[in-house]
Amino acid sequence: MKDQNKEVLYGLYDDEQDLLKAVKQANEDHLEIMDVFTPFPVHGLDPLLGLEESRLHIAGFIYGAIGTLTAFLFMTWVFTRDWPIIFGGKPYWSVPAFVPITFEVTVLFASVGMVVTFYTICGLAPGVVNPTLDDRITDDKFCIAFNTNDAGEDKVDKLKSFFSATGASEVNTKTI
Amino acid sequence: MNQFTFESKQKNILIGFMVLGLLCLGLNFAFFDDSLHTRFWSNFLHNSVFFTGIAFISLFTLTAFTTAYSGWHTVLKRVWEAYALFLIPGLVLIGILIVGLWGHFHHLYHWADAEEVAKDTIMDGKSGFLNKSWYTFGTLIIVGGWIFFATKIRALSLKEDEEGTSDYKLHKKIRIWSAVFLPIAGFSSAAIIWQWVMSVDAHWYSTMFAWYATCSWFVAAIALTILTLVYLKSKGYFPNVTDEHMHDLGKYMFAFSIAWTYLWFSQYMLIWYANNGEETIYFRTRLDHYSVLFYGNLILNFVLPFLILMRNDTKRKYGTLIFTSILVLFGHWWDFFQMIKPGVLHTAQEALSHGADAHGAEGGHAVEFMMGFTIPGFLEIGIFLGFLAGFLFFVLNRLEKASLEPKNDPYLAESIHHHV
Repeated sequence: MKDQNKEVLYGLYDDEQDLLKAVKQANEDHLEIMDVFTPFPVHGLDPLLGLEESRLHIAGFIYGAIGTLTAFLFMTWVFTRDWPIIFGGKPYWSVPAFVPITFEVTVLFASVGMVVTFYTICGLAPGVVNPTLDDRITDDKFCIAFNTNDAGEDKVDKLKSFFSATGASEVNTKTI
Repeated sequence: MNQFTFESKQKNILIGFMVLGLLCLGLNFAFFDDSLHTRFWSNFLHNSVFFTGIAFISLFTLTAFTTAYSGWHTVLKRVWEAYALFLIPGLVLIGILIVGLWGHFHHLYHWADAEEVAKDTIMDGKSGFLNKSWYTFGTLIIVGGWIFFATKIRALSLKEDEEGTSDYKLHKKIRIWSAVFLPIAGFSSAAIIWQWVMSVDAHWYSTMFAWYATCSWFVAAIALTILTLVYLKSKGYFPNVTDEHMHDLGKYMFAFSIAWTYLWFSQYMLIWYANNGEETIYFRTRLDHYSVLFYGNLILNFVLPFLILMRNDTKRKYGTLIFTSILVLFGHWWDFFQMIKPGVLHTAQEALSHGADAHGAEGGHAVEFMMGFTIPGFLEIGIFLGFLAGFLFFVLNRLEKASLEPKNDPYLAESIHHHV
């Protein structure tokens, strides 16, 4: 993305059903879609675009397991080695008392870890500018974008006719 | 296939298992029991409460979903309607226990013994609630009330099949009855669980107990629903119950296994922390003499379903789903076993030794291994299968009485197109 600007031809749709039909049509016509932008998750879009299932939950499990071990082993160390105190006549190593805190730390590690991982993978951070094709794709428009960097005249015409055939309400180009 | 036919082969198999269950009950009564028939009666109480509870919680789930404008469950709601009707035989089963209570046929409840209550300050203080009249009256009124709602909602739902209109008048009626049922169900189930199950340890009490036992019923009901649906689907019924619905049921099983653990642990930890003698003895007994039950309970109902169902795809594959369903159905039966048996055995041993140790809960009881109390034996498994077959026989019989898909339900289309 940094090396070269992309010339993008994109069409906007008013309805997610039109968008789904258009994506199906594009697959049948063997058009290579660069990306699809929607204001909300559209059911059934991921398999059409051939997107793999997210592996974020595996990372989440690992962070959670690290959280469990951190909390449990830390408390064990504190209450048996570092600073043993008797609470309410209970043994030093009182597992039931550790459970709520272990649970909380597991949730904390898993959630914070997953958020950070997700932001990193998506290239989101404070100060990062991500170019948008059209502001309305965050509101009420559904967008299919094609990369037209090395596309010839006939290819662009073919894409334009695809957009008009599938009922796009607007077709624009933009360099990002 | 929208109309279920209860084939004679299925009937024969289920009747066979019911006969097995009766045989086990008979053998238990005749040969493997003490003079008070403690094992027989506690098995009867255990299974009656377990399956009546599954019927109740199915009605509760159905009404809660209806009240919440839920649509996904509509294609399978006939299964829960049929489950809920098992409350009728459930009342008969508990009725047998009530007859036994008045006729002194069993010695399940310490508080039912007037001489003991007179000697015992704690039980005397509770005798306003823990007495035979309340037990009888409470059961009849509460289960009777549940049956009223179950049949009412079922009747309206069947009527909707026949004469459903586009203004959904009948569905709105179902919604009103459902909303009325929810608060009644919440309070009444707690009261009846205290009577049926918690009072076998008459000295002990826990405010978490009703939640915890109800949650146990819920997970068991979801597991049984999955098994029923998978079986009926394999026979070609319920074509519109897809992987998506199974996935949602799997998520319920997963989530409520964790909710059950949360409640179980909350109960345990509060008692462990406070360490009041009359409360702690409940868990002390289980840890010392029933450790297989105690830890087995946690492994079956928390560790295994948690680890197996955590992944997305294990909730969508029938193999893992069936395996986990069998596991937690058995697991929650085990949980009720663990709630009932130690208290009953303690009461019985006190009665048999004629109150040599009058201070009830404070004294421990015999520590030696006793089949049918320390762990479930073959007889218990046989009785469980018998009750399960009886439950399924009744349910399949009810399913046959109506179309499997509620064809005029306003949420049917939403349910058919359900996608997670």
